[in-house]
Amino acid sequence: MTPFFQNKTNRVWFLLAAGFILFNIWNVIYNIPMVPDQHWAQKIFYVHVPSAWVGFLSYFIVMIAGIMFFVKGHDKWDDVGLAAAEIGTLFMALVLITGPIWATPIWGQPWIWEPRLTTTLILFLIYIGYFMMRSFGGHAERVRRYAAALGIIAFVDVPIIFVSVQFWAPEIQSHPQVEMASQPPGILIPFLLSLGIFTIIYTLMLKFRIHVIKIKNRNVADV
Amino acid sequence: MFFTLLKKELFIEFRSREVTLSMLVFGLSIILAFAFTTNVSKVIVANYVPGMFWIMVLFVTVLGVHRSFAYEKEFDAFSMLISAPIDRGLIFVAKWISGFIFLTLMEILVAIPFFKFLLIDFPPDPFLAIGTTLLINLAIMAVASLVSGIAMRARLSEVLLPVLLFPLLSPVIISATKISAGIMAGDPFKLWQIWLLIILSIIVIFALVGYTLFDFITEE
Repeated sequence: MTPFFQNKTNRVWFLLAAGFILFNIWNVIYNIPMVPDQHWAQKIFYVHVPSAWVGFLSYFIVMIAGIMFFVKGHDKWDDVGLAAAEIGTLFMALVLITGPIWATPIWGQPWIWEPRLTTTLILFLIYIGYFMMRSFGGHAERVRRYAAALGIIAFVDVPIIFVSVQFWAPEIQSHPQVEMASQPPGILIPFLLSLGIFTIIYTLMLKFRIHVIKIKNRNVADV
Repeated sequence: MFFTLLKKELFIEFRSREVTLSMLVFGLSIILAFAFTTNVSKVIVANYVPGMFWIMVLFVTVLGVHRSFAYEKEFDAFSMLISAPIDRGLIFVAKWISGFIFLTLMEILVAIPFFKFLLIDFPPDPFLAIGTTLLINLAIMAVASLVSGIAMRARLSEVLLPVLLFPLLSPVIISATKISAGIMAGDPFKLWQIWLLIILSIIVIFALVGYTLFDFITEE
């Protein structure tokens, strides 16, 4: 199997993604105007929201890969599911870290049971279970099927979790990120740009991780 | 075929009484722990009763479904079951309904000690409480049967089952607690109907997902 970075397209995408990341950091710190009342704390939204978007997108891909694995029965869908689950959980962890960083100066405490954060936490815990199953579930072929099923169940549960958590504590308001659409272009456009850049980074990471998993599986098969 | 499978589940249980007995004793032990940790003060306990009841049910459910699937592991009975020419989705439905029956049985037996030991009054409308509890049991067992179907044949299933089940059941536990709190407080239906809708959605969604996925999960 050709090394990932020997492929010219991958190299170009990697360089582009690296450039985009650096530009995004520069843009967020120096260029984007401050939101009144929130100052520097608000800037974390340019990382927090795109991480959440990419995390949920990734878990959606885990579900699709699970369905495809059952329908087509091909192991490549298991590789896609595993790679997406790993990267999705990484971004979800980022959401759970950046959320409290924003909340501490704004709400005065790192954690309140905000519906989106709570849903993220529950989903994160489900995926910890998913990786435990992957790691010590035993029989490899069965574990693949169980993981595919779990990926489907976890995503199906997301809207139910979100609705129940939202009604559970209605006095807790959602993040002001929902008001992003009504922000002036100086804030909205960089925010959308950040979303796009995170999606590009995610796509590259996913492609790379699938490549690594394939090599790993081939080495295991050779042994 | 469904009734044959259900009969098999019930027949095994009524002969050994392993599932219901272990659920019952475990449930009583949890009540005891609750009593000791709250000093059985009516003022303190009253606020937490609905949550306590459903926490107990959650723990007992894990024990029950694990035991129910553990039967099948012995002598590799599950492999023989799935090699039979039957719709595997029906195995899930049979596990779900039998689990629901065992859980309901356990709750019937444990309800009086729960209320009496913790010095709580019975709900003002017992029929409403029973009806909603039955629906919640259906929801809990729909999720639990599906997850235990996944965890059962994995290594370390006794660890994986609660780790996977508890977060997946969080909407059920939230809804169950809110419904019970509403009924205990005598709140009008309008105030807690949303939770009942969530429970009904969980029953429908997990019944369909479980029925569809069980065929793939149990492939050899």
